[in-house]
Amino acid sequence: MKHRHHACWTLIWLGVLLFVGMPLTGWAQTTVEGTVTDAEDGSPLPGVNVTVQNTQIGTLTDPDGTFTINVPADRNTLVFSFVGFQRTTVTLEEGQTSVEVSLEPDVVGLDEVVVTGLASSIARENLANSVETISSDDLAGRTNSQTLDGALSGKVAGAEISSYSGAPGGGMSVKLRGVSTINGNSQPLYIIDGVVVNNSAIPSNVNAVTQAAAGGSRSNQDNPVNRIADLNPQDIESIEILKGPSAAAIYGGRAANGVVIINTKSGASDATRVDFSQTLGATTIRKKLGTRQFTAETAEAAFGSEGRTLFLEAQNEGRFIDYEDELFGNTGLLSTTSLSISGGNEDTRFFLSGLLQNDDGIVERTGYDKRSVRLNLDHDLSDRIQLSGTVNYVNANTRRGLTGNDNSGTTFGVALTATPNFIDIRPDEDGNYPDHPFNASNPLQTRDLFTNQEVVNRTITSAQVEYTAFNTEQQSLRIIGQAGADFFSLESEALFPETLQFERTSPEPGTSILGETTSINTNVRLLGVHSYTLSDSDVTFTTQAGVTGVRIDQMTSNFVARGLIPGQQNLDQATSLSPSQVREVQNDRSFFAQEEVNIANQVIATVGVRGDRSTLNGDVDRFYLYPKASAALNIHNFAFWSADAVNQFKLRAAFGQTGNIAGFGTKFTSFEAVSVGGVAGTLINPQRGSADVEPERQTEIEAGIDLGLWDNRANLALTVYRKEITDQLLQREVPASTGFRLETFNGGTLLNRGVEATLALVPVERDRFSWNSRTSFWANDAEVTSLPVPAFRALGGGFGATLGEIRIEEGQSPTQIVGIDDRNGDGTSDGVFQLGDVAPDFQMSFTNDFTFYENLTLSVLAHWKKGGDNLNLSELLFDLSQTSPDFDEDSNNSGVPDGAERVGNVGVSAAQFVQDASYFRIREIGLFYDLPTGLLDRTFNGSLRSVRIGASARNWFTITPYKSYDPEVNNFGTQPVSNGVEVTPFPQSKELFFHLRVGL
Amino acid sequence: MYTSLPLRAVFATSALVLLLMLSGCDLMELSDDPDPNEPSLEDILQDPTPAKLANLAVGIEAGMRTDINLYLTNVSMIGREAYRFSASDPRFTADLLGRGSSVLDNNTFYITRPWAERYRVVRNAEIMLETIDNAGGTLFSDAQRAGFEGYAETIIAYQLLLNANLTFENGIRIDVSANDVGPVVGYDEALQNIASRLDAAFGRLQAAGDAFEFPLSEGFEGFDTPAGFAAFNRAIAARVAVYQGNYARALTLLEDSFVDDDAPLAQGIYHVFSTAPGDIVNPWFFPPQQSGNLLAAHPSYVGDIARDADGEIVDSRFDKVVEREDAFAADGLSSNWGFFVYKTQVDPIPVTRNAELLLIRAEANIWEGNFSDAVDDLNVIRNAAGLADYDGEETQEALIDEMLEQRRYELYGEGHRWIDVRRYDRLDTLPLDRDGDTVWERFPIPASENL
Repeated sequence: MKHRHHACWTLIWLGVLLFVGMPLTGWAQTTVEGTVTDAEDGSPLPGVNVTVQNTQIGTLTDPDGTFTINVPADRNTLVFSFVGFQRTTVTLEEGQTSVEVSLEPDVVGLDEVVVTGLASSIARENLANSVETISSDDLAGRTNSQTLDGALSGKVAGAEISSYSGAPGGGMSVKLRGVSTINGNSQPLYIIDGVVVNNSAIPSNVNAVTQAAAGGSRSNQDNPVNRIADLNPQDIESIEILKGPSAAAIYGGRAANGVVIINTKSGASDATRVDFSQTLGATTIRKKLGTRQFTAETAEAAFGSEGRTLFLEAQNEGRFIDYEDELFGNTGLLSTTSLSISGGNEDTRFFLSGLLQNDDGIVERTGYDKRSVRLNLDHDLSDRIQLSGTVNYVNANTRRGLTGNDNSGTTFGVALTATPNFIDIRPDEDGNYPDHPFNASNPLQTRDLFTNQEVVNRTITSAQVEYTAFNTEQQSLRIIGQAGADFFSLESEALFPETLQFERTSPEPGTSILGETTSINTNVRLLGVHSYTLSDSDVTFTTQAGVTGVRIDQMTSNFVARGLIPGQQNLDQATSLSPSQVREVQNDRSFFAQEEVNIANQVIATVGVRGDRSTLNGDVDRFYLYPKASAALNIHNFAFWSADAVNQFKLRAAFGQTGNIAGFGTKFTSFEAVSVGGVAGTLINPQRGSADVEPERQTEIEAGIDLGLWDNRANLALTVYRKEITDQLLQREVPASTGFRLETFNGGTLLNRGVEATLALVPVERDRFSWNSRTSFWANDAEVTSLPVPAFRALGGGFGATLGEIRIEEGQSPTQIVGIDDRNGDGTSDGVFQLGDVAPDFQMSFTNDFTFYENLTLSVLAHWKKGGDNLNLSELLFDLSQTSPDFDEDSNNSGVPDGAERVGNVGVSAAQFVQDASYFRIREIGLFYDLPTGLLDRTFNGSLRSVRIGASARNWFTITPYKSYDPEVNNFGTQPVSNGVEVTPFPQSKELFFHLRVGL
Repeated sequence: MYTSLPLRAVFATSALVLLLMLSGCDLMELSDDPDPNEPSLEDILQDPTPAKLANLAVGIEAGMRTDINLYLTNVSMIGREAYRFSASDPRFTADLLGRGSSVLDNNTFYITRPWAERYRVVRNAEIMLETIDNAGGTLFSDAQRAGFEGYAETIIAYQLLLNANLTFENGIRIDVSANDVGPVVGYDEALQNIASRLDAAFGRLQAAGDAFEFPLSEGFEGFDTPAGFAAFNRAIAARVAVYQGNYARALTLLEDSFVDDDAPLAQGIYHVFSTAPGDIVNPWFFPPQQSGNLLAAHPSYVGDIARDADGEIVDSRFDKVVEREDAFAADGLSSNWGFFVYKTQVDPIPVTRNAELLLIRAEANIWEGNFSDAVDDLNVIRNAAGLADYDGEETQEALIDEMLEQRRYELYGEGHRWIDVRRYDRLDTLPLDRDGDTVWERFPIPASENL
């Protein structure tokens, strides 16, 4: 086996060697020299791409903005392009050998380059898909975000990005273009510098204490973090988001939920730059709910005679305690320090960065600390060979407290619901915590004495070789080899000492839950890109083909140790131990080929196909094929176009398919390990394997119009799409008398239709004041068009019809909420009805950047989600314990307190739990001042390049009709369909920051 | 140079692609590896070994315990022996006790889970039988094979009996050896099938030599040889026979069982539990003083217990409950007695024991008219509980009352009372705690059976 691999690689290198010795140039030509400058301030621009139009000839400008290029005799047009500047063409006069060019800034991002194949890019002007690009400024320039995915919130048209927990360290669900699967993997594929990174959310198994999954829902409710959170947002140069199959088909079987392509920063051939930034901030609870004010009578009604006694005691002492404030009222200090150094010479460029982040949470003893270092290196070995490498190490420590659903009264939230303000469960001077009279745990004691933390150590590395095999007037061939690895180890530790109230009464007091996960993703790619320009016309063909391989190997062990020797936490200090271990290995091989033709930038057409095989499929040898095709028509580039006010008018259409591979183990029928009397045995696993399981398939057609008006002062992009998911991975019950419960099969159809529109405007552009604005609108409509199994509750879709659940049902929206309801008003349930829908009607975002006197900028991102319901079960728990703040109100003047009325409705109607979760939110607001260059030169003798100071806020202001802490919530974390199920979560917070950035 | 270049490029590109895709390179090959986490079904069917079969046998014993607490909850709640209170699940006290308009649902955990777990054990046993059938001859002697077969068939019969006890006249499936299961048959046919399976298994066990080729836990101590296991088989067969009203046969069957009026009443076969890794603890153990989530004795257990003229309790089986520091009340029910049959989280749960066999013998003798034999056995039970000899009427009717009374107290919390009052058509004698409560006769067949 190994020997054969060896022979294969030899053959490949022999093939590569065939190209060596081919000339890079070799034709009649003139040499043209020149300088490229920034039109705004006249400074030289290094790294600008200079090409001869309709050829493959190109070069980059030097650190001083100069370039030299050989122009064939029959060509006379040079094209200059650079990120952030408008593409500019210059026609050379007969005999002209030098050229000075100044580039205008590209405020609307029209001329940026977008990656469309695995190794080729295309100017946005020629793009046939709607691809979202987020720049570093847009991502992390306005304010701070703890995590990368958090920084995307509200910035992507067509995405539903929602935070599911306010706990430090994040936790985000990202859904692109609606629901793309019912049971499969639902999160986008993240690719960082070519490395497929792990974004799994690994539960810590605190369920062993909370028993959250013991009741109505067996789904995980451990509040895990998805691991994309580990990345440092400040390292990122740009993010491209391929939202649907028509753009993402080239990623095939792993791209069903879209692809997020992340490029990190690299150095420039320039003087070394040092950038230092310090951010200090504070986080506080976004909204408090308050608590009920009791009387002796209501205290007795709610908590019995002991309630009355304790209430009177509190009244006598005048001691009423705000436990919401005790638990969630902490002001957490946030500090982020980052330093980056970048620079290089003509051959070698580097970017080195470091980050120190220490964030506390709104609950004492919770927080998130991150340390990260990155080195990105680029080196030109010769004109033909370019090398680049990245290495990133992250250490993160997350302390998320204990919140969410439970069936044991142990989480902070559930305990709070049973805690009236008249009891005193605060510790005495000696640190002794009284037992909670009405609950299994004293949440203050739990918070102060228990530990729940995760430590991640992660390294992501990549290496790339790009070899230009030849580069002639008409042709070029590049061969790119790329390899990367993403390795992390995660240790989660939850320690419940035997002194805790609920541990003392347990048969084995003292619990330690230890989780260890190691994960390694490795991937390799070998690609060739061949470009060919027809000599007599403006037609260019770009062909690319290649192969890729990905291997994912993740192993998780978890140990629950009970009956700990007091003060100890090691597994061997316990009287009983329950271990578990799961290993998941996935191996994929793929090939792809793509052909693009560009006719004079007027018509750009692409066809391509990807083939994927995976060890997770029933048939590991079969390649599943995912085709794509697209066309863009730049009408403004045709000769007949004469409307000067309209400088861009593009029609585009695209088609593509992607897949979603079955989860690990779906195909196996296996035995579980059991033990009795100290002897191990095997018992058939009730999940019957599906030996012939296939990937889900998504087919998308999208079409759109791009309009640019008045020299791109106004840009409108409008896209509609239709995305159909077939061969879904559905589970069906099998008769339990077979000994099995469930099996997976392929079937059913789900349809998403949507619209996305973005309007970018530059209403004012003056020296003293400029204003850029960007408004996006997006809406998605989904329907389960065919479902060959009975309607069922979506994964993590609540706790059953009595309390409301998200139900997958033919002919309905997959995100519909159903529940029992009393339709005829007789006070009893009349059956199950549709009560709401989690999916919003539409979303809008508004970005406005104002610059005053060039130095002062105010930037605001607002986000409006219209519609979409949550299942608010926090209110139910407060009501059941009769502690809800509005319990005694009587909003309908029925003479019965609202709280009592709601409790009486339990079992009659679930409609009261279904609450509108619309919101309008100022997501990000930043005010920054750049010290004038003249002042810096005078004061610091030119030793400082730039100084920026500012203040910013995240999620500072929210308008919502939703009754609980925040409409962004989900008890079940990231789920394919469900969202918005609330059970006493970690409340969301808002943040305020002060910034100092210094450039040397 | 100019003209040759494109040709060479085309050649080189094609060559590279060809080399990659078509040269027989296995860079693109994937191996179809088995499940790295658990042994696969395929593996045991294709490559059976004695050790793998022994693992299956242990799995069968371990699996018999899964969700046995739900079976016991069902029988004990409907039989008004205990209340299972749950802060998070109202269905225990609503559905199982038939509160108001509540009914037993065919897709709720109380029936779906125990039903599925019993059939899961059956599946494990069927896999064992299939493996033995395919390859047993090369791996084992005839006697060793007979040991596996006798064990598997006995357990299958016992597991089917537990499900039949729940669904009663709604019936169960008895032919589940293949993935396409057979029809649901009625209660009588199910009992007959179980009886036949037990007889066949008894035959195999008698041909199984001196020892099994697999270990059984201390729960089968004394019954872990083919001969001992055969005695267990006959005990279950005797239980089935009295369920069928086949009393003469029950007496015959008991002769080959381990019934013994001199042996301890507790002697028998048990589900055992431990805190060892991979093992489970007694899922029906609740600290008797616990609040919210608990198991409380039905107040009638203490209310009806034997007392002397002064009202002092004389029945030592009073120790199966414990007085709570605070009465627990919820959902219109209340009890100040904690359920205390299982006193720690590793206490074993009986499958069958000598006391049950003595009571079966008494029952059969009552019906066969051998009243004094019946009284002898009843007195063994009574005396063990600190009660004097039976001094009531020696009529069939009176003795049946006494026998049921002794079964109620002796086998309290072991999963019998509901079935006993049902087969004597006395469900209406069970106490109702709330207006509108119902005593159910049988559970519906789970929805997943697609009937």
